Amino acid sequence: MEKIDKIIFGDNQFFGINHMSQEKAQQLSEKFFELKEILKVYDYAFECGIEAVMLNSNDRAVDICNYFRKNQNKYEHINWYPSIPYPHKYANLVAEKGIISTINELLFKNNKASGVFNMIAKGGSAVLTKDIVRMMEMLIDLEMKIFRGLNVKVVFLQNIITDLLLGYDFEEIFVAYAEYVSKKYNAKPGLITQNLPLLHQKLTEWQIENVVLCASFNKIGYLMSPNIESYISTLEMNDSDKYEIMAMSTLASGAVNAREAYEFINRQKVQSVVFGASTKTHIKETVSLINI
Amino acid sequence: MKIRIGIIGLGRMGITHYSIINRHPNVEISSVAETSSMFRNIFSKYIKSAKTFDDYKKLMDIDKPDAILICTPPQFHFQVAKYAALKGIHVFAEKPFTLNYQHAKELAEVFEKNGLINMVGYVNRYNDVFAFTKSLINDNLIDKPIRFKSEMYSGTITKDDKGSGWRATHETGGGAVFEMASHAIDLVNFLIGKPDKVSGTAMDKVYSKNVEDIVSTTFKYNSEIIGLLNINWSDESYRKPTNKIEIFGKEGKILADQYSLKLFLKEANNKYNYRKGWNTIYITDIFKPVPFYVRGNEFTRQLFIFADTILNNNQSLVSCNFREASDTLDIIGQMFKDVKED
Repeated sequence: MEKIDKIIFGDNQFFGINHMSQEKAQQLSEKFFELKEILKVYDYAFECGIEAVMLNSNDRAVDICNYFRKNQNKYEHINWYPSIPYPHKYANLVAEKGIISTINELLFKNNKASGVFNMIAKGGSAVLTKDIVRMMEMLIDLEMKIFRGLNVKVVFLQNIITDLLLGYDFEEIFVAYAEYVSKKYNAKPGLITQNLPLLHQKLTEWQIENVVLCASFNKIGYLMSPNIESYISTLEMNDSDKYEIMAMSTLASGAVNAREAYEFINRQKVQSVVFGASTKTHIKETVSLINI
Repeated sequence: MKIRIGIIGLGRMGITHYSIINRHPNVEISSVAETSSMFRNIFSKYIKSAKTFDDYKKLMDIDKPDAILICTPPQFHFQVAKYAALKGIHVFAEKPFTLNYQHAKELAEVFEKNGLINMVGYVNRYNDVFAFTKSLINDNLIDKPIRFKSEMYSGTITKDDKGSGWRATHETGGGAVFEMASHAIDLVNFLIGKPDKVSGTAMDKVYSKNVEDIVSTTFKYNSEIIGLLNINWSDESYRKPTNKIEIFGKEGKILADQYSLKLFLKEANNKYNYRKGWNTIYITDIFKPVPFYVRGNEFTRQLFIFADTILNNNQSLVSCNFREASDTLDIIGQMFKDVKED
């Protein structure tokens, strides 16, 4: 099967996300208020030779995807790596309305897809929720609408969902997710996690293969549970034909400088790196430092 | 040895706590209780390892777990915890624990008397930055606190609400005081100590129909410390719920949130190797990894400590037992009274 891109351009910088400082997050959110500022940075990344984009399905992703869809002839070589869902949207809805009303609102009130009408005819959420796999499929479709028409290579599940389900040992839903993404979207299933060693062990046990695993990987062990040593040993024995590994948070939100960060990453058995940056100089520098 | 845990209430917190504590090597989740038949059905269909009950009493009578996690809407916490005490079951309760000081004190007494482990989920106490803030204060880096400000902001309620659901009334534990101010008050109790007096409390609505969205008050101490509290859960400029605390002392100042800490010192500190003037400490400088991560290190840490406390029968591991959590409800009661009298 076709391998994933070695370098993928991430999106946290555009959406006011910084795991270390809220002040930095706020500055970034101001800088990228205008869509054209975001698009400018994407063009820098492409000029530096990057051909892959990871993008979370948040509200701003709608405009970004619309632009790239409209200008597809210019960007036809770009591979897309959506990550779904945008967790804060759901967290706020659930906090405000509770879980059941949130599901109802998302799947029934705001969704005009034909499948949903059939579902309502069959008895609505009462029927649906007996089948959690079908519900998951509908939520995936809802989130993936943003990316329609783009060349999607991997569909990632956000770590808050992956790790929540991992805590339950929810084999069935991992199997269903992998199958659905491969069949419906002709893409590789991807899982973002903060517990790479455990997820790797469980997927191996459950014989779920050909999955891309994206995890924090930095020399200080930030957001790497249970510890950095087990990450390194997991990768040592990993068969990358079964699980391609993508490193994220390589700079640990800025705690590690780029040179040191990639000296460390280049020694690890990772197949890919996703990073975000907001200036051409930083993008160029990072691309030149990654040698995996 | 494994302890058996039952989870009461499968809402947002119950679902999250299940995932986290299920990964503790010496814990078996033996049962869950949930009133919604839809949720029970999903659970019994997919999660075969735990028994499901439609009633918390049945869970405790039949399954007889060693401990329970109470994750129901807040108005049920008191009756559930009281029943657990009767049955000799250890309890972790989500905040705000109970809805009034009397109930909180009563539970603290009965759990202490029966020698049962008790803990409330004020998760900030287990946050890497706030725990570090505590050690800076204990080590007198800024000398004794004189003035402080404890704040919490989020974009939770940002549309006119129809006045339904448990978050919509005080009787069910809704409103920014129970939901959010409780966190900011507990952080004050944890870092500074319990205030002696509350005054100038203001509570206002922005979007909610029956409950407050914005809260502010002044805390006074007999030792002449004064602190301000400011809460707003209708502030969309915050992507996620954020606690902030600013503490001024004779020797310096601390500004902390969940991710970073700024420390201003009048003189350099050798023990911590901080210089005179401003020092910035990020979570990446001080974090300790946890065995399993779902929603932040603090969520895992607090539940694993609860389980370890039972396994080692050592209540001193717990930060925020029922007694400490009742202090927060005492302050909340005084704030409601202060607003009424004004």
